[in-house]
Amino acid sequence: MSKIDVFYQGDGVGDLEHVEIDDGTTIAELKKLFSDKHGFDGDALVFLEDEDDPLDELADLKEHTHQAGVKAHVHRCRRVEVVVTFNGEAVDRSFGPGATIAKVKKWAAERKFEMSECDAGEHVLQITGTDERPAPGIHVGSLVACPKCRIEFDLVPDQRINGAE
Amino acid sequence: MSFPPDERAFRADVARPVFRLSQSEGRWQVQSIEWPSVVISVTARGGAAHVFRFDCSGYPTTPPTGTLWDTAANTILPFDRWPRGNGGRVSAVFRPDWKNGTALYLPCDRVSIVGHDNWRTEQPSKIWRPGVGIIHYLELVYELLNCRDYIAPTGATA
Repeated sequence: MSKIDVFYQGDGVGDLEHVEIDDGTTIAELKKLFSDKHGFDGDALVFLEDEDDPLDELADLKEHTHQAGVKAHVHRCRRVEVVVTFNGEAVDRSFGPGATIAKVKKWAAERKFEMSECDAGEHVLQITGTDERPAPGIHVGSLVACPKCRIEFDLVPDQRINGAE
Repeated sequence: MSFPPDERAFRADVARPVFRLSQSEGRWQVQSIEWPSVVISVTARGGAAHVFRFDCSGYPTTPPTGTLWDTAANTILPFDRWPRGNGGRVSAVFRPDWKNGTALYLPCDRVSIVGHDNWRTEQPSKIWRPGVGIIHYLELVYELLNCRDYIAPTGATA
């Protein structure tokens, strides 16, 4: 039986994790594996990266496999409320916890604050009240812990690097 | 095989899932490790790959220093083959005039941070983080090579 690489993030998981799974595994079996490993109870949900809705637990993991395997997320929050502030204006939307920082930034910068793709590329999301700028591939769910299913960002310019020489 | 502590720490970081996923997705690839030199290619917008050599002595407590590398000639890449920008963030980092091209002008670079204490407050997210390791440096380089300001040099290798 061949194997599937599953790369996942999640509630309290910390760094991105990897498991190798038999290709006949169902989502329910994957969820049990996550729950056993990370101490979730039965109400955790499994998501695909950048998808808002949890996976059907009866589905076969193989159906969701791509070149690098499966990029998944496990969380007890069904949605994460995201607030993004730019120039004093705040916008909000709920995302699946597997939404990447890249997806959230695109939504905020280009759709809500109507930046061009070029201008959006010159801005980054910074967690409000910190100097943390999560990498584009980080899932918003990995930045929150249930029951606090909410996070705030500031959309800030990615300043050009200057300095005395 | 026994490695010195800094090499052992580096090899542990490139074995982490977050690094391996980026390799699987074609964002970067370790070409060679001849400690303390590490050669890594990073994919740019349009699919060209740029090759970097990092000196990782003292990793991860001491930040690495990196520059563009010509693996065939085993020397710094000729400046006419460096990535360019439209006057924005790319050309501010890939600077042949900085240290004769021996280091990228990044706050996470061991050589470039020297004398730039202002970066610790002005660019805190780009300061070297031992706990994140080489992936932090590579994320910054990858972002630059895939931003709109990036212009591929004529001699980039695909």
